[in-house]
Amino acid sequence: MDNPSLFIPCMVDLFLPEIGEACLRVLRRLDLDPIYHPEQTCCGQPAIHAGYVKKAKDSAKHFIDVFGEDDAVVCPAGSCVCTVKDRYPDLLQDEPTWLRRAEDLAPRVYELSQYIVDVMGVEDLGASYEGRVAYHESCRVLRGLGVSEQPKKLIKAVSGAELVPMQGAEVCCGFGGEFSTNYPEISEVLVSEKAANYIASGADVLVACDPGCLLNIGGYLNRNHPEKRIMHVASFLAEAIQDGRT
Amino acid sequence: MKVKSEQFREVAIEELKTRHTRSHLDVIGLFISEMRRASMGTFPDPSAALELGRAIRAESIERLPELLEEFERNATANGAVVHWARDADEANALILRIAQERNVRLVTKGKSMVTEETGLNDVLIENGLEVFETDLGEFIIQLLGRPPFHIQGPALNIPVQEICDLFMEKGIMNEPTLDPVELGHAARVFLRNKFHHVDMAITGVNFAVAQTGTIINVENEGNIRLTKSSPRTQVSVMTLEKVVPTMQDAMHMLRLLCRNCTGQKIASYVSMDSGPNKGREVDGPRELFIVILDNGRSSFYRDPEVREILRCIRCGVCMLECPVYGKIGGYPYGWAYSGPMGQVLNPLMLGLERTQDLYRACTFCGGCKTACPAGIDHPQKFLYYRAKDVEGDPRYKGKRRPWTESSFMGIFTWVTKRRWRWNLGIKAARPFLNRHVEQGFIRGMKGPVEGWFKSRDFPAMAEKTFHDRMQERGSRESGEPSRS
Repeated sequence: MDNPSLFIPCMVDLFLPEIGEACLRVLRRLDLDPIYHPEQTCCGQPAIHAGYVKKAKDSAKHFIDVFGEDDAVVCPAGSCVCTVKDRYPDLLQDEPTWLRRAEDLAPRVYELSQYIVDVMGVEDLGASYEGRVAYHESCRVLRGLGVSEQPKKLIKAVSGAELVPMQGAEVCCGFGGEFSTNYPEISEVLVSEKAANYIASGADVLVACDPGCLLNIGGYLNRNHPEKRIMHVASFLAEAIQDGRT
Repeated sequence: MKVKSEQFREVAIEELKTRHTRSHLDVIGLFISEMRRASMGTFPDPSAALELGRAIRAESIERLPELLEEFERNATANGAVVHWARDADEANALILRIAQERNVRLVTKGKSMVTEETGLNDVLIENGLEVFETDLGEFIIQLLGRPPFHIQGPALNIPVQEICDLFMEKGIMNEPTLDPVELGHAARVFLRNKFHHVDMAITGVNFAVAQTGTIINVENEGNIRLTKSSPRTQVSVMTLEKVVPTMQDAMHMLRLLCRNCTGQKIASYVSMDSGPNKGREVDGPRELFIVILDNGRSSFYRDPEVREILRCIRCGVCMLECPVYGKIGGYPYGWAYSGPMGQVLNPLMLGLERTQDLYRACTFCGGCKTACPAGIDHPQKFLYYRAKDVEGDPRYKGKRRPWTESSFMGIFTWVTKRRWRWNLGIKAARPFLNRHVEQGFIRGMKGPVEGWFKSRDFPAMAEKTFHDRMQERGSRESGEPSRS
């Protein structure tokens, strides 16, 4: 199996770099040595979502230049993967050469848990965690990529971890990028319900596959329920791998 | 109908505080979602049924001009009179003229979104006609003078006490009661009396079948059937996208409509009119007019990027799935169509400038698109409208964004083109952001991101980014020459 290339979203690079480190540890556990292109920046999603499609083409073309030749690109963020897979072809539809490159790259870009379970065919990482785990179905992981079973399989395979149901697990946490700052009142109601459902689930930790949700739910928990933890699936697995070894 | 879409934000904040809005939305959300899931589950293959519906609607819209002509031919052959209306004023004037030529004084109406769109009631009432909505929810909001709260439950947020007070005030009943069944009975008795004397009926149309010239109405209260069978004259108003090719197609769309709308396999009443009463029949109107309204639709039909929104069958499942609608209800959207259904349609009908919030108040969760039995990609339309707004597209009345935002986006995308620029940007931003940090988190900031901090913290910008850490580690390179 060829080594995948690591696509680290800007939010992870700047604010949650430990998620990137966790990705490395998890992939190395599978005897992979991920490639890191130091030229990578941001996929351009904020500009695309704000409607600046012409300007966003620059970000897209840079991304395609950096990752275009990789066999597989792995990313710990469902929404950034969706941007590359779904939005780039739209964005570049009037530039045939770039469109071809975007369409050619799209099927080689994977969300982390999807890559581990579907491509590597691995569920059990030989990790252990004593406690109950709730899983938040990030919108663009679940509905954008159709990824839901993969992270749950990884969690269930962790020895000692009990995956518990959470009401409204598939309901949006209210992040939506600029939505959270443009409509903070609506966003707050959604994230507060997500936190309440998490607390009611009795889980010890909430796991999700998208750093956007992590910033939103995590930011809310930090302010209002600082004792409750939310973890990226990579961080959860990396920590559990560590514990599995000791 | 008065357009209030500019007040989205204010009304939304008001509605978030309204206990009745919130509790009703929560209940309907859970209840109908469950019924919908169960009823969709009765298809042998639910996802195939969904795909078939999407294919039917895609075909209907691609063949729209041809199908409308076929429908007109067959409806006319059945004895109906088909009129075409370019816009709301033309439709209203036409219907008023039909009423006036027949000395109509009393009109009953079946629930119809399109006549909300055209503001027909106001026109008829201004011209001295008595107009009664006969759907219980529509009847209540007509008496209250409010817009519909929800497509299926126009008045579901109105507390029982308020309905009781309203019915007493308007003389619908003589004794106050808080028993919903009694209240429903009072409305029924009042309206039954109207049906006895009604001169003309006005209804909407759920589907128009090109193959047979039939119009189909779906309802649960029986009021549309009563409305259609009592008077001499019936006027059915439809927008031009209601047509489907064949009766078989209509039957499949009916299955999807009822399941996604109310979680039923079939609604309590489905009526089909293929022309007026032909003389030998016991009921039905002597004359049937079908008004086909354009109101701007044919102009955006020409844009292949947005044509798809005409596939909508108004089932309302997008509202049920929308987390934003689920908290704020229908009022903030400020027009006949609310939720994602209105968010894709209203900006085209009203212009991008006055509907800013409709295509921005979305988290891109994709719930609407995933459930839509007509195959509409709502989030993608919002991106398209945002792009048109940024461009200041004159066709859709784009406004252009503030220069601060467009300059920021210009710099941002320029920075994403080279890593060294990105690194410089980080260096510049870090001290600015991190001066707000307490115990590892930014607790508050002024400016465009201020809203975030009303209820949330944000992590400090890392002293060492992931990139820095990899560089220090002397990690594997891709082997390609540096592009900086």
